[in-house]
Amino acid sequence: MFSFLIRRVLQAGLVLLIVGFVAFSMFNFVGDPIDNMLGTERTQADIDRLRAQLGLDQTFVVQYWKFLANAVDGNLGVSYRQGRPVAEIIAERAPATLELATVSALFAVGVGVLLGIYTAIRRDGLVSHIIMSVSLIGVSLPTFLIGILLIYLFSVELDWLPSFGRGEVTDLGGWTTGFLTSSGLKALILPGITLGLFQMTLIMRLVRSEMLEVLRQDYIRFARARGLSEKAINFRHALKNTLVPVITVTGLQLGSIIAFAIITESVFQWPGVGLLFINAVQFVDIPVMAAYLMLISVMFVTINLIVDILYVAIDPRLRS
Amino acid sequence: MRKTLAATALALLSVQGVSAETFRWAGTTDPQTMDPHAVNSAPVLGFLNNVYEGLMRRNQQMQIEPALATSWEPIGSDGWRFHLRKDVKFHNGSDFTAEDVVFSYERATRPESDVSSWFASVSSIKAVDDYTVEFYTAAPNPIFPDTITNFMIMDKGWTETNNSAVPAKDAENFATRNTNGTGAFKVVERQPDLKTVIEPFGAWWDEATHNITSAEYTPIQNPATAVAALLSGEVDMINPVPTQDVARLSSSPDVKVLEDIEARVIMFGFANQAETLKYSADAGKPNPFKDARVRQAVNHAINVDAIVQTIMRGSAQPVSQLVSPAMRGYSEALADRPAYDLDKARALLAEAGYADGFSFGMRCPNNRYINDEAVCQAAVGMLAQIGLDVELETMPVSNYWPELRAQNFDMYMLGWSPGSFDAEHPIRFLVTTPNPEKKLGSWNFGAFSNARVDELLPQIQSEIDDEKRQALLDESTKILQDEAGYVPMYVQALLWGARSNVDLTQRADNFFMLRWVTVN
Repeated sequence: MFSFLIRRVLQAGLVLLIVGFVAFSMFNFVGDPIDNMLGTERTQADIDRLRAQLGLDQTFVVQYWKFLANAVDGNLGVSYRQGRPVAEIIAERAPATLELATVSALFAVGVGVLLGIYTAIRRDGLVSHIIMSVSLIGVSLPTFLIGILLIYLFSVELDWLPSFGRGEVTDLGGWTTGFLTSSGLKALILPGITLGLFQMTLIMRLVRSEMLEVLRQDYIRFARARGLSEKAINFRHALKNTLVPVITVTGLQLGSIIAFAIITESVFQWPGVGLLFINAVQFVDIPVMAAYLMLISVMFVTINLIVDILYVAIDPRLRS
Repeated sequence: MRKTLAATALALLSVQGVSAETFRWAGTTDPQTMDPHAVNSAPVLGFLNNVYEGLMRRNQQMQIEPALATSWEPIGSDGWRFHLRKDVKFHNGSDFTAEDVVFSYERATRPESDVSSWFASVSSIKAVDDYTVEFYTAAPNPIFPDTITNFMIMDKGWTETNNSAVPAKDAENFATRNTNGTGAFKVVERQPDLKTVIEPFGAWWDEATHNITSAEYTPIQNPATAVAALLSGEVDMINPVPTQDVARLSSSPDVKVLEDIEARVIMFGFANQAETLKYSADAGKPNPFKDARVRQAVNHAINVDAIVQTIMRGSAQPVSQLVSPAMRGYSEALADRPAYDLDKARALLAEAGYADGFSFGMRCPNNRYINDEAVCQAAVGMLAQIGLDVELETMPVSNYWPELRAQNFDMYMLGWSPGSFDAEHPIRFLVTTPNPEKKLGSWNFGAFSNARVDELLPQIQSEIDDEKRQALLDESTKILQDEAGYVPMYVQALLWGARSNVDLTQRADNFFMLRWVTVN
């Protein structure tokens, strides 16, 4: 077990190094930050000086090495656009993304499981068919379009919810939260739905098919024969057995909710790390891009590591 | 109990009353810094013009008027003398004197500063007394006051105490997020990328003409979101309005669209000097654009009116030269664009020996100017009509400038907005032969070169007499038109959206000045 752990951690480290290497080799193609940092009246001498100052005159391998050396010391560099330490900026932006991701995940799981059960039990009902068809539309429309549609309906036409931003936030010593004010809660609704819609549909379909599978099993038939109530059969016996794969998928999807918050955040001007990343790409803010990509890959690698370990813990056959 | 309730209700009401008066506006980018010397870009200078002030300022029609200087005059041909306004206070209460001007000049001319080019002609500065400052120039410089209207004055004491005497480019200092100007508004809250809140400065030297009690700026990057926020009343003003949303916003009774002409001229440039073509099937063959007749043919083949009507939906103005009519030194006599004339274009090509046309590569940005990619695509179609087969490549602006600097184009698109609002500016940057040592032609990527223009530029820069200067500018403009070194197409439009109860002034430099805002 221990050697397995060591092996997996080493593999994870290697994956991170490769991700960083690929990321740095790509930064050349994103463009040149110099033009964004200097005004139009700059001279070639200004360009050369700033390039040297930022170390952009070196190869990407050297730049990557410097980034790693500094990162080991806990220094993620300074943003080209804001001139502030990247670690500080990310810490400031992370709460927005994490709160949004939490709301989206709750929405996806809650609504997804409920609708999944409903459509499984009433598989031939009219409402089920409507839900299934609508969900298909929801999943095939791009996120930004869904976001804009929601904004036009709920902000412009009905004037119920804000179209952008986080509303009023409360600062809890380094963590800003929108959960404590009514405007903050209102602001979470539209982006939360937009971000969670795809996952919601996924979970709904997963629960439905698992549930249909389970409902065909012999023990359900025996339970019915014993005269148990429909409620007890559906929720106590059937649902429980469908949840194992749902939990696995949900866990893995949480990572992608955070990683793919980029589009939702830019539609709703949500001040999280995704919006920060979009800004960084437009500006060619290499330190911010590098730090973001590394953090996201650390997150994915960690989630996968935990899943791997859990599998081993659950399944004794993998231990040999 | 009832009393407390009533009091609470009243307090609640009054709180709402205050927040209702907060004026909210949105743009696509956040000013990178609050330091007026660190970044020479429109979002930064535009925002900070509300907070800091220069010696002069521009009025609603872009004309120069006194600000921190009450008057100024040339010192013979040696430079300029500025008489400073007395009893001006910075936001922290300290007095404004000549010392602050000298300090700000020194700060703005450091290598770390991004605005040092404004002072390229200045050899030294002298504070004659507390309220007189003299700038000495190596040669007479008639447009020096025009050049430095965005040169903002910082408080020496405040800046030095807070260790910000050097503008910060790749790091942060106190002046990056804090301000201490003399302007009509002071920054009370600054959260980079989120919001910046400003309030009127009570001790401002001039009379306030606005009725704002508090104003909040938020960047909203997605244009559709910004439009929605304006329609729902969450913001009172947005800049810009996407061209495709103009009609819809205009039809709403709650909002209005303000439209004017900006200072930016959109043009095509050529590889004027390259020996061979670099792109397309004809790559490696001799470069036809070395011949002025070929460039002129392009000029006649591009239907600017059609581009303005269809792609820009009417919100742009055709232009014949590198500056818009609103700029100082615009050549009235040369205001006509070459006619859209395909026969003439074909004849010119035939004369140059390209009767059968040729193919080449065009580079365009796709996120820099309004509808830039669509305009280039339209130009490709128009040039096909005279037998030119264009291979178009478009890219984001971050990739575009390095390509231009490496001269990777046969023909390219460029927009130019003269920082000094004077016709000399594009000649210096775009038309003179590139010369890094003299800091000339730094944006002349196609290396257009004309000995007479090179000769004219220093004369234009030092001619004090307005009439003679205009004659020199006219001559230079004429040469550029005859040579077709660039194909100027149109002046971009400014499109702002506002709630209908907001009165504001749209200035040609795209600066939003809060001191001209009235909320009814």
